[in-house]
Amino acid sequence: MKRLFDTGNAAITEGAVMAGCRLFSGYPITPATEIAENMSRRMPQVGGYYIQAEDETASFHICIGGALGGLKAMTATSGPGYVLFSDPYGWAIGSEVPVVVVNSQRVGPVSGITGAPGQGEFYLSRYPTHGGNFETIVLAPAGVQEAFSMTVEAFYLAERFRTPVTLLADQIVTDGLESFDLPENEEELRAMGLRVIPGKAHAGPCFYPATSEIDIPPVRLGRNTGGACSDWTPTEEGYDTEEVEAQVKHAYRLTRKVLDHRDLIDRYEGTCLEDDPDVVLVSYGSPSRVMASAVKKARSLGLKVGGIRLKSLWPFQDRLFARRAVYLTVELNLDGQLVREVQRAAGGSAVHFIGRCGELPTAAELVEAVIGLSEGCFPAPKLWERWAW
Amino acid sequence: MDRWARRWLRERKIPSTACVGCGLGQVHKKVLMAVEQLKLGVGDVVWGTGIGCAGRQTFNTWKGDNFAGTHGRVYAIATGLRTALPDDKKIILTVGDGDAFGIGLSHLLHCARRNLGVAVIVADNFGYQSTGGQYGFTTPLGCVTDSSPYGTREQGWLQNDIDILTLLKDAGATFLARHSSFEGQNAVDSVVKAIDNRGFSLVHFIYPCVTHFGAISLGSRDKEAVYRWFERLFQDGGDPRFRSGVYHDARGSRPEFAASLREWTERVSKENSTTTGKRFD
Repeated sequence: MKRLFDTGNAAITEGAVMAGCRLFSGYPITPATEIAENMSRRMPQVGGYYIQAEDETASFHICIGGALGGLKAMTATSGPGYVLFSDPYGWAIGSEVPVVVVNSQRVGPVSGITGAPGQGEFYLSRYPTHGGNFETIVLAPAGVQEAFSMTVEAFYLAERFRTPVTLLADQIVTDGLESFDLPENEEELRAMGLRVIPGKAHAGPCFYPATSEIDIPPVRLGRNTGGACSDWTPTEEGYDTEEVEAQVKHAYRLTRKVLDHRDLIDRYEGTCLEDDPDVVLVSYGSPSRVMASAVKKARSLGLKVGGIRLKSLWPFQDRLFARRAVYLTVELNLDGQLVREVQRAAGGSAVHFIGRCGELPTAAELVEAVIGLSEGCFPAPKLWERWAW
Repeated sequence: MDRWARRWLRERKIPSTACVGCGLGQVHKKVLMAVEQLKLGVGDVVWGTGIGCAGRQTFNTWKGDNFAGTHGRVYAIATGLRTALPDDKKIILTVGDGDAFGIGLSHLLHCARRNLGVAVIVADNFGYQSTGGQYGFTTPLGCVTDSSPYGTREQGWLQNDIDILTLLKDAGATFLARHSSFEGQNAVDSVVKAIDNRGFSLVHFIYPCVTHFGAISLGSRDKEAVYRWFERLFQDGGDPRFRSGVYHDARGSRPEFAASLREWTERVSKENSTTTGKRFD
């Protein structure tokens, strides 16, 4: 095991290399550029390919082409590039192509600030393309070590579910420097709870079964199997069709294959939830680290408070919000995205929201909010950034 | 379905869903004849298509491996696929004029710049016909279409001093040709050269659309009248841009993108291999 001191971008690069990624195509954008730079150095070293694309749309499509040819592929971007992924996302989801997609979120909308973190693509990562009738798999790292491990996991899930898997990070995670462990052999990798599976080829020509089965190798081209894939509604042999029944089967497959196997996807970290706390903070990514400090501090003050850190965002883990409590989501946005989903999942429980735009809230602010909520009243907003939901 | 077609095409996709009188079948047949002339087997070719008349009607007709990209993106998919597949595997892309010269033009130019080993067959029916007949980037000036009721006003890629093939040549394409769909062996010969080229090739086929371009722009659904109009475009002494034949032949002058990337990667890999590059599978 190597101990390194490096950025989340470096950890993502090493995770991809270990997972067997041998094609990276990207387009420079802060704060994800470093992944492309690292990949341009690392890919040729391990016999892989780096292709700097003409735009983000091309970068994702190049990855799709590489995956169809049998290479494990990854692309990385930030919000302004992520919206351009809308087109290839649809293709990869519909044709069931495994690709890993990294989005290092920065404050927006549009270009916003290149060096300030954001969490504005929570819903966009759920519906990254048009048409609906699909489920997405999204993981959210909160630190450099997790950026490494979740990248390896993303490749694993992409292969098993044959679908693009998104790593929804933020600028603090990808630019932040931390020490992390890098395994040097398979045993060490397994000891970390990580698995790598080889990319396989589907024998074809059968395109997909209208079932929720996973572990069906994806279609590969160039092996003379009569494999076919496209953006059209496919029949089970891959032919394009205008039949609604075929679209219904396709939609069933794209939604159920994810939902019926969510035990492989669902990940979260609970803090101090054992004694049914009155107030539960909810977060993901960088703000969850502030949240952890705030829960610890509030507990030391005798407050019955807990925390839920979501490590996988989609499919959304509704079951985590079944307990009666006062919820407070902590987010890097002002419009409140996670809060809406928690509110939907929490049923009758009260749900509040603290959002900050472009920077993290402080632990003291969160503790103050928890004290208020424990006393039955959400503190009156003192800053324009703090809104009661 | 004759025996010849049965050899190359999927029975399920025959007959084609193209309109009666469409010239697309002529283009498709020429490409298949070129494949046969090159003595390629079904397993030697991966066939990609786009959206629109040319994409939809040719997708999955090929007996071997197929893919269809969204509008204009097939060139980027082919870039990744070319990188992953061995050199001897041919990639043929059948696309329309909107796909190649409109929405996908940036990707197309970058394929030419990289000299990507693909043969792009552009089946050009002078506009967006599968969506009902709107003008495109090669529609002749002044044509009345569903989206130019008073005649087209935009400079196209085939008017005045502009020729899209010149742009592609300057971008680095190593083989370029233009034909009408109703030509014979000379058109097949161009496609043979395009497929055989280890680099970026494009053959621009112009073919008649009776249903929309004929009916709206030419004012006739009469197949013979529409065909005669298209035929006149390619007559000797006419517009030089509609001269059929090879436009640019620089086969072998530049290294093919994926092959050279592979070669370079192998060299770097040998010189810079590290222990942390292990893949644990």
